[in-house]
Amino acid sequence: MKEKVEILSCEVQKEENPYKPERARIVRKYDLTNDVRFFQVRICNPEKVMEWTTNYKPGQFMMLSIPNAGEAPFSITSSPTRPGVFEFSIRKVGRLTGKLFELKENDFVWLRGPFGNGFPVERMWGKDLLFVAGGLGAAPLRSVLLYALDNRERFGKMYYLYGAKTPEEVLFKNEFEEMLQRDDFECHLTVDKDPEGNWPYDIGVVTTQFKYVKDIDVNNTAAIVCGPPVMYKYVIQEFLELGISEENIYMTLERKMKCGMGKCGQCVVGHKYTCIDGPVFTLWDVKTIRNLI
Amino acid sequence: MRVFKMKKGNIVPFLRSLEEFGEVWGPVKKGDNYVYAHEDPEKFDLSALRTLIPAKKFFLPQKSTILKFKNGNWYTHSDCKKRVIFGLHPCDIHALNIYDEFYTRVYEDPYYKSNKEATLIIGLSCLPDEHCFCNLTDTSTVEKGFDLFFTELEDKFLVWVGSPRGDDILAKRSDMVEDITKEDIKDYIEWRKRRENMFKVDLSFTGLPEIVSASYDSDIWDKMGSACLSCGTCTMVCPTCTCFDVEDEYDIRADEMNRNRKWYSCMFREYSLVAGGHNFREARAERLRLWYTHKLVGFMSEYGDPACVGCGRCVVSCPVGINVLSIVRALTGEKNDAFWAKTEVKQI
Amino acid sequence: MGKPKIGIYGLTGCAGDQLNILNCEDELLKLFDIFEVKSFVMASRSKDESVPLDVAFVEGSVSTEKDLEELKKIRQKSKILVAIGHCAVFGGVQSMYLGCEPWIERYKKVYGREDAVTISPPLDPKPLSAYVKVDAVLPGCPIEKEPFLKMAGLLAQGVIPKNPDYPVCAECKWKENECLLLKGEICLGPITSAGCGAICPSLNIGCIGCWGPIEDENFASGIALLESKGYTLDEIVKRFSIFGGTERGEKLAKYIAKVKEGHNG
Repeated sequence: MKEKVEILSCEVQKEENPYKPERARIVRKYDLTNDVRFFQVRICNPEKVMEWTTNYKPGQFMMLSIPNAGEAPFSITSSPTRPGVFEFSIRKVGRLTGKLFELKENDFVWLRGPFGNGFPVERMWGKDLLFVAGGLGAAPLRSVLLYALDNRERFGKMYYLYGAKTPEEVLFKNEFEEMLQRDDFECHLTVDKDPEGNWPYDIGVVTTQFKYVKDIDVNNTAAIVCGPPVMYKYVIQEFLELGISEENIYMTLERKMKCGMGKCGQCVVGHKYTCIDGPVFTLWDVKTIRNLI
Repeated sequence: MRVFKMKKGNIVPFLRSLEEFGEVWGPVKKGDNYVYAHEDPEKFDLSALRTLIPAKKFFLPQKSTILKFKNGNWYTHSDCKKRVIFGLHPCDIHALNIYDEFYTRVYEDPYYKSNKEATLIIGLSCLPDEHCFCNLTDTSTVEKGFDLFFTELEDKFLVWVGSPRGDDILAKRSDMVEDITKEDIKDYIEWRKRRENMFKVDLSFTGLPEIVSASYDSDIWDKMGSACLSCGTCTMVCPTCTCFDVEDEYDIRADEMNRNRKWYSCMFREYSLVAGGHNFREARAERLRLWYTHKLVGFMSEYGDPACVGCGRCVVSCPVGINVLSIVRALTGEKNDAFWAKTEVKQI
Repeated sequence: MGKPKIGIYGLTGCAGDQLNILNCEDELLKLFDIFEVKSFVMASRSKDESVPLDVAFVEGSVSTEKDLEELKKIRQKSKILVAIGHCAVFGGVQSMYLGCEPWIERYKKVYGREDAVTISPPLDPKPLSAYVKVDAVLPGCPIEKEPFLKMAGLLAQGVIPKNPDYPVCAECKWKENECLLLKGEICLGPITSAGCGAICPSLNIGCIGCWGPIEDENFASGIALLESKGYTLDEIVKRFSIFGGTERGEKLAKYIAKVKEGHNG
């Protein structure tokens, strides 16, 4: 009798499946601007809460999904130095975000991640930090900013320059106003236009704020920029004029992603997959790969 | 590598005997072309060269459900099937090796992995036609990535054993194979010489990554872009194209949601479109440039080899003649009579 | 939350799309179970036009003043308006490009005089989107059962479905078909929106384009390619027009003008 041999198997690892999302609950939400909403989200499985919220890097992103509406990448706005929850600042632009804006506190969303390289924060230890954010770019930068503030002693001088179109479009205004009071770091806010005339700070594009940047050690500075695509060119010009080298200029980029794990290909630029090789790139990467910004 | 020989008449009974491991698939005729189909091995056409769609369909199916969402919970879903695939040529196996490296790097794709573990790969030698150029991409022979590999000589097969699974299979069927003789080796060497002389594509692939990199701003991309139909055929037929899209679908019959993935293409407009409406590659020329730089330059720097295995599928599939060969000809200043190169498309 | 309230309506068209909804025999009960159908004249005479709708499915093109009036009413009371079938999405064959003469001249040729139809004053046939905001589309002539059920499924879950923005060629390749264009046949696959599952090419019949033009169509290259295969511009334009709708019609007119210009210059 012929012996039946099983040499093939077709089991999918069900528990380890990185495509399978984890249930999370919206614990807090409020509007940052008229189309950007802040979401604070807590993983439902108590065993995973601390594990997930302490083991990520500023600048990483999560894949957030709502069944039927789909899944998309969102950068984490919170910092691993303040664990327990994940925070996101999300603009309503499409089908998934439209559905997300319908959700209430205590409703579920689904998360996978964190994904992406994140900012090499350890490599930035001991350096001066120069943050430049524009508009919604303040969302991913908030993660690394909070991280740096919570590890203040590890860094040199710190500047944060933030520009938005109008006062209504300034994200985290209250937090920034608190930061203005700190004497261990300089925060400067500006808006392009102030139609109401109530804006107490500067008016002008974000590059005008470089006048406040003094006495940084350009050979020992990490410059970080995030904002709308049009902004990069001008801000990078300022960085270079200050004398900061290409490999110390960091930016975090946005692309469409369907897996977060370097497979689906939709975030590909040149031969880099933004989801695993990015979303944080240096100016050197950007120049070599081309088409990144 | 262990090598045996098999009488020609034994191939069909041998393949039939493999049904115990799973469905046996092989190349069968469809119109003037070939497809991999689950048929009786007698119907397999051993002269088949390139199938319309490459064997990647077994590992990343055209469309598949990966997750289900029902009653508030997610469930892993897989359509994985045990299969024996017969008739893969060296270029096809090289492409699967690239697939393997890609789908297991950094994060291991569990669906790919289970499909891979559920599949026996049985290679088959081939004699090139005028579109084959695996000799230029260094993929005309293959050393790994198969369980067994059959080389068809005049009056016999030589069977190369590529894995412990392949060895087990032959051990259980020792009555169908014999040891090889000096004569067999001589025949094989003769056959290889004959095969090497059959390649017809006269083109140099040397220095290609540098040439493509340096041609980033060439107007050749615009010329091609003007003719490109963005039909995505090149990416669907390319054995090393890996991209997919993910989409949720609600099934009202079963009252459950399916999260599906399906083949997708960087030639499609939506591929580079982000929420909010910005498109990073609005122009067709930019999409084509992405594809070719990814294949010919990107893979080179990442894996040491280009992601072109010389199968010739794009050469015979693109309606407007955009393919690796016509692009290399254009970039290296060779004579090029592809449709896109000789036609002036009147864009409005 | 109660069941979503829906209405299914027909303007000027053959009613084939509504018929295909009725043809979902096995799933019809399910559809009536997940939706509260407020109006579907083709299926039932009892209707309630007084309540607001969550979703309105509208078939047919806007070809008369009466169509337009009805469409505006439906739009006003519906949260989501879905155009179903080629006529509603692209304008249908009645809106095809037939040369540059004004529409009313064609009308007179067919009906003899300008005021031939008396039910309601006629209009140049146009898709719904020419007059109102359309939230989702399901093309096809007629619509297909499976895509309709999938769309209904997502709508029932409160999600607005999206039609593929890639061509029939993609689905045709998934089905491992031989390319008819390569065999020298007129196939509109590359310039036609996917979703049908490449039904015709799978039966060795060139795509006639009934899912309508894909937004990203490289229409000029399509013409050049078919000309190189021996077809005349006239033959190609005829095939491109049938399901080309109003938008492709405009492009065809421009293309032809450019060709003529080239001949003169």
